[in-house]
Amino acid sequence: MSLAAAQAERTLPLPDLRRIFADTKFYWLVLPAFTFFLIFFVIPTVSLFLISFDKSVAGVVDIQWDFTLKNYIRFFNRPLYYEAAIRSIGLAAIVSVCALALGYPLAYFIAKTRHPGRNTFYMILVLCAMQLDMVIRLFGLMVLMGDNGIINGILKDVGAVREPLPLMYNFFGAVVGLVQFTLPFMVLSLIGIIRSIHPSLEEAARSLGANRWTTFWRITFPLSMPGILAGTLLVFAISISSYVVPALMGGWKVIVMPLHIYQQIAEMGKWQFGATIAVVLFVTSMIAVYVYQRFAARTAGGRA
Amino acid sequence: MAERVAQGSVAPGGSWHFFNRGKRREERAVALPLQIGAWLAFVVLLLPMIIVVLAGLNSGDHLTWPPEGLSLRWIVAFFEASEFLDAYVFSLWLAVVVMVISTTLGTMAAIFLTRMTFPGRNLLRAYFLSPLILPGIVLGLALYVFYVSSGIGLSRTLPGLIIGHVLVTAPYVIGTVSAALFNFDIALEEAARSLGAGPFTAFRNVTLPIIGPGVAAGAIFAFIVSFGQFDVSLFLSTPNYTPLPIALYISLRYTFEPTAAAAGIFAIALVVISMLLTSRLINIRRFAGIKFS
Repeated sequence: MSLAAAQAERTLPLPDLRRIFADTKFYWLVLPAFTFFLIFFVIPTVSLFLISFDKSVAGVVDIQWDFTLKNYIRFFNRPLYYEAAIRSIGLAAIVSVCALALGYPLAYFIAKTRHPGRNTFYMILVLCAMQLDMVIRLFGLMVLMGDNGIINGILKDVGAVREPLPLMYNFFGAVVGLVQFTLPFMVLSLIGIIRSIHPSLEEAARSLGANRWTTFWRITFPLSMPGILAGTLLVFAISISSYVVPALMGGWKVIVMPLHIYQQIAEMGKWQFGATIAVVLFVTSMIAVYVYQRFAARTAGGRA
Repeated sequence: MAERVAQGSVAPGGSWHFFNRGKRREERAVALPLQIGAWLAFVVLLLPMIIVVLAGLNSGDHLTWPPEGLSLRWIVAFFEASEFLDAYVFSLWLAVVVMVISTTLGTMAAIFLTRMTFPGRNLLRAYFLSPLILPGIVLGLALYVFYVSSGIGLSRTLPGLIIGHVLVTAPYVIGTVSAALFNFDIALEEAARSLGAGPFTAFRNVTLPIIGPGVAAGAIFAFIVSFGQFDVSLFLSTPNYTPLPIALYISLRYTFEPTAAAAGIFAIALVVISMLLTSRLINIRRFAGIKFS
């Protein structure tokens, strides 16, 4: 086929199709979803943002158009609240590191499994773990990690401990719960990028005399940096906004921002202040996204 | 350097013993420390699910060490006491309704997004994916505040809950259907058009059967995300309309009934079936690298 013919074949259908769509006015296709998102996503989010600046009156939800910074000043002046913000960030950061340490080997293992059947099987396992309601998984974790739980039962049986280890209803429990929650997201972020690293790069390093350890740390790990950044970022964002895991595994001792939001609204009726904490939570995770993207652009050298 | 390469790969010792040993070491595609880490991660992922299944089939009151044996008493109790069964059935019903709405809205939007060339297309795409960036609890709160303050009669109602779920499931449908449409060869539809089919006939008879698996996979995702949705439901559910995750949360916080584990078994079964179906419909290995936010 001549070059001109090939080019004609490639360019011809496009204007034709555009004409078809222009003629029949296909804008109605997107209109329902667009309107739906506008009414039930954009307007509620904007009004939540507005009432976070509104004068705080317990029990009043309506916008009073009396804007002030008092809610935010209150948030950043009371240790109860700003410490919860710091705790949330710390918890999410620790969970990100743990999920990476645990998720990377699994992602690498699945990416290197060439057998299509086994590969699909592993993917189904990861997706099942991801899609199962977190509260059900927390039931399992609580049966495992409670004072009379299975882990403590086994440890007592073999005589390793006399008193049950405090595995949950504390910070450690919240970390374990969140790592369990976020691990599938980390694994899925990593698999694609690890699979895209060409095997010849590792082979070249090996044939030049590097051992497996060196090859992994000098070649494979740096090349998977875009996936590592995407995964840790995603895990951070999920962890910082989780309500149910810190509530159950932390036993109301690990008070993070989502718990404060629920308390302010459901128990105290302080809508404006609850909205303020929600905005702080969202902005915190957005700042994390921004910082990470700046960092990623430099580290990944445009591969992200 | 060339010498070392030769030594490493060809095994100049020549004996079968050496050759085989070298080969076996090369065959292990993943180094042992990484393999141990991978299995540890599998344990962390799957052990809670296995424990839930065992707790639901346990004959004692609570699953402890050493285990007391198997029985179906908690499964029977799950069907006899209405507490979790009602929540399970409601969640199932809710997930089906949400799936239908999300799939319809999402598929239409995805067709528009992939077929039209207009400025700001990426912006529109980001607009449709944005509910996933907002923390679920913040989205639920925003909707709750909006329902109460606007007085449109949606606060503490079933439609209000459905709307919240559609917002977090439609982006998944748009994502999967867009992916299916990108892979679709538009020439097929044009052929049908040039042979005289109208735009709707061409779409229904040519395009839809080909992108069908992608649409179905998106629908299953919408279903399962709605079924397991906790964050958005937290502010929007009411005592009359309590989805399973909320009912389980209340149980875990206050009473810790073993019937909850029996409910969990049926939820696990539903998730496993959904994911098996998805793997039949689309190449599940492509899920790697999907960005959820």
